[in-house]
Amino acid sequence: MTAYVIRRVWQMIPTIFGVILLIFVLFNWVGGDPAQILAGKISNPQQIENIRHQLGVDRPYWYQLLVFVKQVFTFDFGRSWSTNELVSHILITRVGPTLTIMVPVLIITTSLAVLFAVMVAYVRGSLTDRMIMIVCTVAMSVSFLVYIIVFQWLFGFVLGWFPVQGWSESVLKNLGYYAPLPIMLAVFVGLAPELRLYRSFFLDEIHQDYVRTARAKGVSERKVMLKHVMRNALIPILTNVGINLPGVFVGSFLLEVFFSIPGLGREVVTAVNRSDFPVIKAATVYLAVITMVVNLLVDVLYKFVDPRVQLK
Amino acid sequence: MSAENLLLRVRDLDVRFRVDRKSEPFRAVKGISFDIPPHSTVALVGESGSGKSVTAMSILGLLPENAIVEPRSEVVYGGRDVLKAPLAAMQEIRGKEISVIFQEPMTSLNPVFTVGDQIGEVLRLHMGMGARQAQARALELLAEVGIPDPRLRVNSYPHEMSGGQQQRVMIAMAIACEPKLLIADEPTTALDVTIQKQILDLMAGLQQRHHMSVLFITHDLGVVGEIADRVVVMQDGEIREQGPVREIFEKPKDPYTKALLACRPRLDRRPRRLPVIDDFIRGEGAAGTAERTRGTSAADPIILEVRNLDKTFFLKEGLFGRRAIPAVKDVSFRLPKGKTLGLVGESGSGKTTVGLTLMRLHEATGGEVLFEGRDLLRLSEKEMMAYRRRIQIVFQNPYASLNPRFTIGQILVEPMRIHGIGSDGRERTEMALHLLRRVGLPEASFHKYPHEFSGGQRQRIAIARCLTMKPDVLICDESVSALDVSVQAQVLNLLQDLQDEYGLSYIFISHDLAVVKYVSDRVMVMNEGRIVEMADSDEIYHNPREEYTRRLIAAIPRGLQRARETQP
Amino acid sequence: MSAILGNASAAAVRDSPGLWALAWRRLLQDRVGMVCLVIVAAYLAMMVASYTGLVAGDWSRERGVSYANPSFLAGEVNLEAKALEQRKAAAKAPPVDLSDVDPLAPRYKEWAERAAKIAVHEVKRSQTLPFGGDKWGRDVLLKTVKGSEVSIFVGLSSALLATLIGTVLGALAGYWGGRVNDLLEWFYNIFTSIPYILLILAFAAVATATGKFGKGIVPIVLVLSLTGWTGIYRLMRAEYIKHCNREYVKAAQAIGASNTSRMFHHILPNVSHVALVQLSQYTVGFIKAEVILSFLGFGVPVDMVSWGTMLAEAQNELVIGKWWQLVAAGASMAVLVTAFSLLTDSLRDALDPKLR
Repeated sequence: MTAYVIRRVWQMIPTIFGVILLIFVLFNWVGGDPAQILAGKISNPQQIENIRHQLGVDRPYWYQLLVFVKQVFTFDFGRSWSTNELVSHILITRVGPTLTIMVPVLIITTSLAVLFAVMVAYVRGSLTDRMIMIVCTVAMSVSFLVYIIVFQWLFGFVLGWFPVQGWSESVLKNLGYYAPLPIMLAVFVGLAPELRLYRSFFLDEIHQDYVRTARAKGVSERKVMLKHVMRNALIPILTNVGINLPGVFVGSFLLEVFFSIPGLGREVVTAVNRSDFPVIKAATVYLAVITMVVNLLVDVLYKFVDPRVQLK
Repeated sequence: MSAENLLLRVRDLDVRFRVDRKSEPFRAVKGISFDIPPHSTVALVGESGSGKSVTAMSILGLLPENAIVEPRSEVVYGGRDVLKAPLAAMQEIRGKEISVIFQEPMTSLNPVFTVGDQIGEVLRLHMGMGARQAQARALELLAEVGIPDPRLRVNSYPHEMSGGQQQRVMIAMAIACEPKLLIADEPTTALDVTIQKQILDLMAGLQQRHHMSVLFITHDLGVVGEIADRVVVMQDGEIREQGPVREIFEKPKDPYTKALLACRPRLDRRPRRLPVIDDFIRGEGAAGTAERTRGTSAADPIILEVRNLDKTFFLKEGLFGRRAIPAVKDVSFRLPKGKTLGLVGESGSGKTTVGLTLMRLHEATGGEVLFEGRDLLRLSEKEMMAYRRRIQIVFQNPYASLNPRFTIGQILVEPMRIHGIGSDGRERTEMALHLLRRVGLPEASFHKYPHEFSGGQRQRIAIARCLTMKPDVLICDESVSALDVSVQAQVLNLLQDLQDEYGLSYIFISHDLAVVKYVSDRVMVMNEGRIVEMADSDEIYHNPREEYTRRLIAAIPRGLQRARETQP
Repeated sequence: MSAILGNASAAAVRDSPGLWALAWRRLLQDRVGMVCLVIVAAYLAMMVASYTGLVAGDWSRERGVSYANPSFLAGEVNLEAKALEQRKAAAKAPPVDLSDVDPLAPRYKEWAERAAKIAVHEVKRSQTLPFGGDKWGRDVLLKTVKGSEVSIFVGLSSALLATLIGTVLGALAGYWGGRVNDLLEWFYNIFTSIPYILLILAFAAVATATGKFGKGIVPIVLVLSLTGWTGIYRLMRAEYIKHCNREYVKAAQAIGASNTSRMFHHILPNVSHVALVQLSQYTVGFIKAEVILSFLGFGVPVDMVSWGTMLAEAQNELVIGKWWQLVAAGASMAVLVTAFSLLTDSLRDALDPKLR
């Protein structure tokens, strides 16, 4: 197992450098000299010069790349071009609110999706099944934007149950007051595609040979579904959750923008609007690393879920 | 046989499958009736599409969701019609009084539960045992079915075991509650011949000890002759003939039964042509008894010589390492011109790899392949082109060896175009049509797609494709293994005719010893990458020298043999 | 001989459909699929008509009063329009007499009379429009039609480009394996390690900050396709690996077909249906993505209209009770996406039916 982890970490290195290279090519090479962008934000020409010098704009590309690499490893990207806040500080403080929303969303959506998918798979082919699938398809066709606008109008404006904006310092107050509406929204929208996907997993398993064997042994249909099929379907479900897991850190930027939640997603959108390159670069590189680490953890978790997996 | 003595009665079983909304349902079983007496083995025999598996699955209600069982069908067990029984009643019977074992044990076992758990499930469900008691009984059952180290194995997962062991586990699961009837759906078809023998012996022993009946579904009449008391012959959803095995084998009445019995290559004789079903349906009876002699002599001119052929596969493993898997080790042989060299072995013996390496579809790791004085393995890709047309290969899977998006015409013309055979399109089309006729297919096939043809027909097209290049050597890599016995006979006849007409030299690779003996002049036995024994075909079957060869020959189901031995 | 061949071929061609003909036949039998095909075709026709200027050519003309009511709500009170009129009327009212402070005061009346004599064509603004008006009185229905052109065009072209990139790279990686595969896998890992939204936003940031990606809708098309090819790469690579191990490819090698021939002549026709289904899925996804990006301001430029820009405007309109832009854009998009999604499912079933 340790050999496997070491091997995976070893394999991550070229990918991390690749990400750094991509971001570098994108922002430093294609993006080029930031002087024009900075001119619109910072009035002090000396400050602009400092930044340009720091980035090494007038030096050859390999030097600039080295500067970037050093920034990544020392976790020091300087300051935001628009707010002059320390980039590292920005990243660290914004992750909290994002997670406060996304972790409950992930847990609730996955649990509900699995529950409903089992129920729908049990009555496969029936009218209920087809109706629910059609509802899901239509629900998925409406833009997230429409949902947000309508929900905010309905629950915030008309019914007045929840605020449409705001955030506090206390986690409990957030979870109880500010977060419920965005969480509800995200679960509502995220449920349809997950339900469709998990249903297809369950149906794939139902048609496998081992299910026929279980029936041949006299196992009841309920037990076939809840014990035999479920346990096997957990494998692709875990894969799916693993793919979605890194997204938890980025958060739903639309939700954060609409609800004024000071999370990472909103931060990045704002940065894009203001062409605040250091923030975007830092966020991208670190989230890539988090993604790789999360993937490794999920792969190790596989060993406990699927006995066929051999970690080599 | 009085009704009270019968364990199971099937009457007028009629099963159809809904294909889509518009078409008529497909009739798989067209109203059949047969009986299963207690303490006996009934064999249900037929080729693919005969409806034998569907019949077996109907008994326990294990058909797929689009199956329709017509109301007039009856399956009477324990005094009532189980087809009309409620699901809960069926679930009581399944696994307890009637059990099933399937063809593919790997996929039939649940991959995420241990073997002990799965055997225990049926004990806990039907015998009301607690977890500990079930585990103990599972251990006993594993020992009874011949799994070594039961204490270790009880906590293993299915994928950690070999095919033969998995099938034993399935058997253990099936007999755990001492059923009265065991339905075995082609249980040994996916297993090697030596393992098959072990499983058949095991099942025979268990049947005796536990006083069960067995409904054994198979396509192999040899197996039927070995283990069954009664046989039911099915074709196209209908029963052609049924009765005690001796009677059917000695005095078959139905032409289809006669054909099935006759078209399998025999070990004691080698007719010039294998009889095919059409012969019997037309009423011509067994084909002439003219025999064909096969064998080699030292004076035969050699067309292909292989020396010390080696092929090792490398897998990446560990941090930086590679694992070497030797598939072919130091194989040497000579192929005389116009003769057939049979290459026989079980799965994993390396026989297919030899064929692919000769064609340079895999790159060999060592050795020489001498053809007309040149070592084919050392040629550059360009030089190799000139020789590609001289050695060709017919693959095993007829459903995968033809490009589904090409018409037959395109498939046949392409090699001619590549090698510059025929001066223009018209001439090539002519030659293609001529070859289609030669392999026994209508000219209209030229514009059709592969999916419109059966397995046997596709193999003929594959053979025709090889012939477009007028090769000297043809490698048949398990070319008839995926075909039904009657179709197999037709293709073997075709291959022999072509050899007679064109003087082709064959390397015939197969795991089926009877076929290899019939068709080869010289036979090479392989095991774990090495040649175990090599001799003329008659010699090797009557005087095998090596232990492995002896075991292989002993494992051939002799059912037909025994039946025939009683014939005058 | 040729007569025989002729007859045989004529009969055979009639009976013998290839994959696409078979799939088309199956699709024709699928009622839901055919309905969706018609709907999608209608949208595409609308897109072409809009592009050529046949309809919605003058979408940006301010034809109605501000927040004009839709025709079916003609009677409702339009407070905003009233307020605007009042403001304008107030602006036209004669100025307060400041003669004692302002030296120019006596001349105002003279100038006003002279100005009034100049004929000014004041556009008659209608009180209602078929599906209402936006803040500037632009016809919502025309905007929806024009917006569909942009959204669909962006969705389709990004999907085509992404499919092309992914297919070529996937084919190379799957067929050649070895070093080529390692290089492309490294490339793929880089793009998939960065969460998709972030990747798009990063590309969008550079696109909007610098003009280096082009003008008009080119930046968003490039952003979407350069970040979205990874899904189909994975699929095609797996397909190519699967088919390379199939015997018909080995047979092609055995008869001496070249590598290019095997890759494109033999294997590609067998995997093209996968690419088609994926293309359809991508189009749906990219239409949705464009809407969101345009909403945020990173999509189409401000002088163009798309469903995203309409939704951006609709955001603030709902609280004052003006719902028509939201419904128009939201509904027309929902209908297209639903139809396209169901069409994709039907396509997949027609091309690769599984007997379930």
